[in-house]
Amino acid sequence: MRERFRALDPRLLWVLLALIALGTLTLYSAGRNTPQAGIWLKQTLWNLLGSILMLMLATTDPRRIFRYSFASYLLGLVALAAVLVVGKKIGGATRWFIIAGQTFQPSELMKWVTLLYVSHRLGSRNADTVGRLELFGAVGLVVFPMLLIQRQPDLGMALSFLPILLIIPLMKGLRTSWVVALLLFIGVGGFGAWKFVLKPYQKQRVMIFLDPSADLQGKGYQVNQSRIAIGSGGLIGKGFTSGSQTQLNFLPVKTTDFAFSVWAEERGFLGVLLALGLFGLLLSRILDAARAAHTNAEAYFCAGAAGIFALHLLVNVGMVAGALPNKGMVLPFFSAGGSSTLSFFLALGVIMGILHRSRVK
Amino acid sequence: MDPRNRPLLRRRLGAFKVMTWSLVALLVIIYAWLQLVRHSEFKQLAMQQAVKVRPIPAPRGLVLDRNGNRLVDNRRALHLVVQREDLPTKPEVVTALAEALELDPPALARKIQSYRLAGKGRPLVLKENLDEAGIALAERVRARFPFLSVEVAPRRVYLGDELAGHVLGYVGEVDELMMKAKPDLYRLGETIGKEGFEASGNDKLKGTDGQKRILVDQLGTEVANFGQNDAITGRSLFLTLDAGLQKVAQDAMGEEAGAVVVLDLRDGGVLAMYSSPSYDPNLFLNRLSQDMVDRYLANNVTRPMVNRAIQGIYAPGSTFKLLVALAALEKGVVTPQTVIYCAGKKNFYGRDFRCDKPTGHGGLSMVQAIAQSCDVYFYELASRMDIDDIYATAEKYGLTERTGIDLPQEKRTRIPSRAWKRKTYPKDPKWYGGETISVGIGQGAVGVTPLGLARFYALLATRGKLITPHLFYGFRSDQTNSVEPAPVPSTKDTPLDPNAWSVLDEGLHEVVQSGTASTNPFVREIAKQTPFSGKTGTAQVATFVDKAHYARQAKKLKDHALFAGYAPREHPQIAFVVVVENAGFGSTSAAPVAAKLVKYWCLDRLSNPLPPPRGKMVDPFAPQQTEAPE
Repeated sequence: MRERFRALDPRLLWVLLALIALGTLTLYSAGRNTPQAGIWLKQTLWNLLGSILMLMLATTDPRRIFRYSFASYLLGLVALAAVLVVGKKIGGATRWFIIAGQTFQPSELMKWVTLLYVSHRLGSRNADTVGRLELFGAVGLVVFPMLLIQRQPDLGMALSFLPILLIIPLMKGLRTSWVVALLLFIGVGGFGAWKFVLKPYQKQRVMIFLDPSADLQGKGYQVNQSRIAIGSGGLIGKGFTSGSQTQLNFLPVKTTDFAFSVWAEERGFLGVLLALGLFGLLLSRILDAARAAHTNAEAYFCAGAAGIFALHLLVNVGMVAGALPNKGMVLPFFSAGGSSTLSFFLALGVIMGILHRSRVK
Repeated sequence: MDPRNRPLLRRRLGAFKVMTWSLVALLVIIYAWLQLVRHSEFKQLAMQQAVKVRPIPAPRGLVLDRNGNRLVDNRRALHLVVQREDLPTKPEVVTALAEALELDPPALARKIQSYRLAGKGRPLVLKENLDEAGIALAERVRARFPFLSVEVAPRRVYLGDELAGHVLGYVGEVDELMMKAKPDLYRLGETIGKEGFEASGNDKLKGTDGQKRILVDQLGTEVANFGQNDAITGRSLFLTLDAGLQKVAQDAMGEEAGAVVVLDLRDGGVLAMYSSPSYDPNLFLNRLSQDMVDRYLANNVTRPMVNRAIQGIYAPGSTFKLLVALAALEKGVVTPQTVIYCAGKKNFYGRDFRCDKPTGHGGLSMVQAIAQSCDVYFYELASRMDIDDIYATAEKYGLTERTGIDLPQEKRTRIPSRAWKRKTYPKDPKWYGGETISVGIGQGAVGVTPLGLARFYALLATRGKLITPHLFYGFRSDQTNSVEPAPVPSTKDTPLDPNAWSVLDEGLHEVVQSGTASTNPFVREIAKQTPFSGKTGTAQVATFVDKAHYARQAKKLKDHALFAGYAPREHPQIAFVVVVENAGFGSTSAAPVAAKLVKYWCLDRLSNPLPPPRGKMVDPFAPQQTEAPE
């Protein structure tokens, strides 16, 4: 058993434990005096379950994991298709399965499964000779589940697949023209999405981002209240469980999307520095794992994982500060939620396994 | 190939790391901007929406009668309100809100607009005095419109219902007209007295609103109180009214229209003032409830909103003969002993003026003429004087002015004169002698308010003291918690000639003992126990061909019956006037009402006082004040 714990990378582990501690405190404060008072406890259970899964993956040879990536990917596609048919509809979106009374969101896990499979495919090719067809194929593997997810609809989740494409610049032979083509693809795709794919409420969110004062009582109201919470926190914050915006319920959805605002209000700029520093260390360590990886696939997975974590960080922390559009993207270890929490732990489990193997061999 | 031997991969991963830390740095800059640079601005915003200054409405003072019976009380009421800073702006929200509360959308929109423009102050009341169903509705509506809140505020309750509606008046929200007239005096949403003593005593009754600084959550619910200036309750006032006597007046009038006034001869305090039909002030507290419109405004034939005691102008009829007699004695055109012959009618200026008794009274002295209410006698007196002589006497004793009672919108008694005719009828300014003859029996141009007439009879009772009728009796002192008497308004003494007075007094006594009022058995019975004095009057509303014609006429064309006098005859305490509209002759309808007043005041009051209105009503919300009368 001791041997098993050795598999956990200490530097990654400490950062992770620190972030979990911050997140748990935040949820305790956010849930206080609301019907969600026990949410921090529930999240702790998810964290414990996630840690066990992480430990299991960390002690598993990454090559065995990659071997199951194709089957997992197919299973994931089936799940995404199934959720559209039999999923539970909450607030106009069909994203969840109900399993044993708990909601489960397959798209959370699918993001990592897709990363795993794309890393595996590209990693098994010779990086110097990888063909265009192969790259287009990889893009297709990423875009296809995105389209299924957008059917739910869930734009934020769909967009969180994009960092997987960061693997591509790691290939040799990628010319500037390819980068241009990729940007063109994103540009045209974005325009097409705006024209044909986006739902009115999604367009509205973008519009509110462009002019936040236009709709203070609607979606813009949430961000406005969040900015007030953050800004009023000042340098040292209002103190634990003493944020007026949080405790008087001015701050909306404070246990999920806006959990970071709670932290920022009550712990101030110093608290924000601490949290962001920890996230920086987390990302750094994951990129270290990419450099230390023994195979291309492992390196690609770590790089993609860093990208996904970074996107969540950027979009969520930026969004609650009003610097980015209001797009429902959770902040790892802060936002409450079972599916996302387990997925983050699983990904870290794989990364720890990679780090472990790089150390022992 | 081992990725560790791929320089490009390693270079690009290195670049990723730089990008990662750049991303973190970018976020740090964003947060530094919000939390350090713009901190005070956001702190201000957070304060603004969480810390509110709310007015605490002050209860008005209570109103009690002279014996300490509560006439007006306060209780707690719940109102559905919108605080000024939470007023909705979007037209569709206002419309939806109006529909949810069954209000008129344009009216609500106007109201919201005026409250928004007015700035800080009392919240806008959407539904007042919520009952259980109202509270349930308010909770349902609040779920949809979280900016609404339920406010606890004191509310008036008029314990006697219609007992003294006109005297007490009612309170209401200050309206826009008043706001425009005196913008620095009234504030939007403030409750002020609108009618009656609530209006005239408003400055004394109204309290001073308090203020509290509170912490509210997103729903506007009070979470914590940072401290407050308590509201100061208005002064509790005592009225000169005697609730028991007032009740007698109300019961005696019954369904008949008219007015009753009883004055305290010592100082002019109004012991009873009842205008019939009365109204229930409680119904006016709600902003124009349909019930109120139906009962009082739409049904305006009987004009219940008019306080007939001070706003009704009646021909005084025979009750005016006392002034004519006084003028004639002072002018010296007759002596008390002068006998004038009544043949049932007499010709003046080429026209026959008829007496009420067609067969004639025969020869009459002044006392007999008053007792029998002979018209020919007073035609003759009038014919020997000029109208300005009658006016001069009225003016000398101060009867041509308003009485100055502390109630709003008192009308003035009209005693005609040549100057009055010129001013009022510029096209026909000449005063005709025949007009004086009519005034001689209280018809024609002369018109009095019941209160004005009562003041004249008070003057007769006190041998020349002109009292100022008033309602303000005293107030509860904040220092000693005892009743402090209000200053008594000035009286003017113009002593009557003792000989003249004794003739008039004798005449009024005879009216009840053997004259026109003695035909009523109830009046006779009371007069036997407590001799009192008074004069019947019948004021013509229309002219009739004969008695059969009169009997056929509609009720509203029948004569008004009056009775004015004082009691008891020796050492009188009260003066009274009773007017019963369209009732026929004064002796049959007005005199018995007066007799009931006399019976209560002189006989029943001390031995068997009536219970206060509504008995001892226990109000669970009543403030902890138990005023004991002196």
